[in-house]
Amino acid sequence: MNKVKSFFFSLLKKESTKTIVASLWCALLGLVLGFIILLCINPKEASYGMTSVLGNYLIFSSPQDRLNYFGQTLAKTAPLIAMSLSILVAYKAGLFNLGGSGQYSIAVLVISFLGLNANWPWWIVMIIAMIAAAMWSMISGLLKAFFNVNEVISGIMLNWIALYIVNGVLTSNSTVWDSSHSESFTISNTSNAFIPSIGLDKLFAGNSIVGLGMILILVTVVVIFVLFKKTTIGYELKVTGLNADAANYAGINKVKNILIATAISGALAGLAASLNLQNGFTSWKLSSVPPDIGFQGISAAFLGGLHPIGVIFSSYFIVHITEGGSMITDLGFSPEVASIMTSVIIYLSGFVLFIKKFVSKHDLKNELNKLSRGKENKK
Amino acid sequence: MIIALSIVSFLIAYVAILSITALGGMFSEKSGTVALSLEGSMTFGAFIGGVMMYVLPTSIPNGLAALIVILASVIGAGLYSLLLALACITFKANQTLIGTALNILSTAFAVVLIKQMTRTEALPVGNSRLNFTRFYSIFNVDLFGIAGVKFNWLVLIVLALIPIVYFVIYKTRYGLRLSSCGENPRSADSLGINVAKTRYVGVLLSGIFAGLGGLLLISMNAEWEFANGASGFGFLALAVLIFGQWKPLYIFLGAFVFSIFKTLSVVYPSIDFLAKLGISSYFYLALPYIVCLVVLVFTSKKNIGPKSLGEPYDKGKR
Repeated sequence: MNKVKSFFFSLLKKESTKTIVASLWCALLGLVLGFIILLCINPKEASYGMTSVLGNYLIFSSPQDRLNYFGQTLAKTAPLIAMSLSILVAYKAGLFNLGGSGQYSIAVLVISFLGLNANWPWWIVMIIAMIAAAMWSMISGLLKAFFNVNEVISGIMLNWIALYIVNGVLTSNSTVWDSSHSESFTISNTSNAFIPSIGLDKLFAGNSIVGLGMILILVTVVVIFVLFKKTTIGYELKVTGLNADAANYAGINKVKNILIATAISGALAGLAASLNLQNGFTSWKLSSVPPDIGFQGISAAFLGGLHPIGVIFSSYFIVHITEGGSMITDLGFSPEVASIMTSVIIYLSGFVLFIKKFVSKHDLKNELNKLSRGKENKK
Repeated sequence: MIIALSIVSFLIAYVAILSITALGGMFSEKSGTVALSLEGSMTFGAFIGGVMMYVLPTSIPNGLAALIVILASVIGAGLYSLLLALACITFKANQTLIGTALNILSTAFAVVLIKQMTRTEALPVGNSRLNFTRFYSIFNVDLFGIAGVKFNWLVLIVLALIPIVYFVIYKTRYGLRLSSCGENPRSADSLGINVAKTRYVGVLLSGIFAGLGGLLLISMNAEWEFANGASGFGFLALAVLIFGQWKPLYIFLGAFVFSIFKTLSVVYPSIDFLAKLGISSYFYLALPYIVCLVVLVFTSKKNIGPKSLGEPYDKGKR
């Protein structure tokens, strides 16, 4: 029994456990606040609403429906993982990528033309979309490296510029623009640009939006993990992020690292667009604000403790409650309740450092109590 | 003539929106806290003001109603900005992260509550658009009595505030203390200035000013789609702040430059030679942001912002 206890304590002392505990607290507090808002809006239906948000696909009674919507949730998680990796890579290198939405938009533009018009093979479309997004992101990098422009501001400006470029170009081309629905055409599952299902759809009641993308994103997670754990490039990026002056002193080329970091993070944002569009699930909708996936990526990255494995779970969680949120419109709740919850969770994840300290203090107290109790026993 | 006057009226209103919001951001950044949540504070101020304009009964006289709306926006946005202060000053959280969270939160919050308010039997979910025709005619008067040229008198309040801000920042003890907390909080602390308190006031002022900016923005229209937040004006104001090198007069000039391009995106169809060029409307929409990037390239080389901007102040640290 004591062994189990001491194992538990040593686990609690670990940095990673503290991060997980802190993130879980954030998620829990965010959900509680969301529930309170539901209670204020409609006390009678609030608990059912909350069940739908938390249950998502589980509220369906038929197993076919459950599997189908589970597949949909997974397929929507993949792009968010890519986007949060994009935020993560930049953050590790000391940059805050607020331009994820813009990079995503530029990739959407490329995918729409190459996927719908040219009907190129899916992997070529995906690679070109990633390159285009990486180049867009490198504008921020170049401005930062050579003109000292704050990447947060340039990222925000590039989001809006990209939004208007994509809106302008797509709406003026009737081959890609479905003007009756004011959105671009979706990529059909017979098209070359469609990411193949490789039989995974059969596991999810024939939901063809689940496919090779799921495997690709897991591979990407591993690649990013290895990048920071094992490679020189990753190490240099990390050092630059921790202390840019020290990195410079150690002979690490700052300009090169900024460009590499922005290129990788842009490519990952492009991958997010590819995984979102090339399974035929969604398309570009005419909007007057940049797509919110860039900001959701920030939530997922921080909630996931800025760890490549962690973002898998945090992304799933965020998509899960967002999808659940879209099911509560019948009860008279607006789906944005889910986005209140996620933003509260990001807000709280800013407190992670503080919560971690609190957790440490707490188990320190426990240890002290144990010690004093031990002394009393000896007496 | 009417067209030209309308354009000028638009331009002045945009100058007022951008400069008041950027000046608010200046208080926050000069004291050392990044004002990334200006967009969120604007949205929240607009939301509170918009709700007031929607619910206030017509029995309340116009002047009093306008006063209530202004106070509600300003106080609401001020309180909202305290969330930023709490996280970033007291709990030393990452300021970019918290700013982003608050930007998303205010839009989501506004949309959820407004959808709740506009629910009817026929429309069970409601919509995120509010209509306030009565207040449109209260806030907007005919300029010089010319019919068709609307002028929002909130602009006058803003223009009056600019010299006051200049005076406060440069000529009062409070202004100097505020700047010292953003430049070198340690020496400010050693001189007996309460850094945390000063920064709280800076952030609070940024919220109040941004709230007024948000109200001005939506009261120029007879209705507002809250799903769009403050349509990016908060972000432009942040760029104006940096372009203006954290100085009130330059901020005003910067706001003027950006407003010219912003106005262009609205009025270009009514200017003959621009309409004839046949350039996509999206180009004009993107123009202020492109100009902003170009200007930043030329002004960012010298790092002249507050030296401790974005760094939480830790008393115990050496």
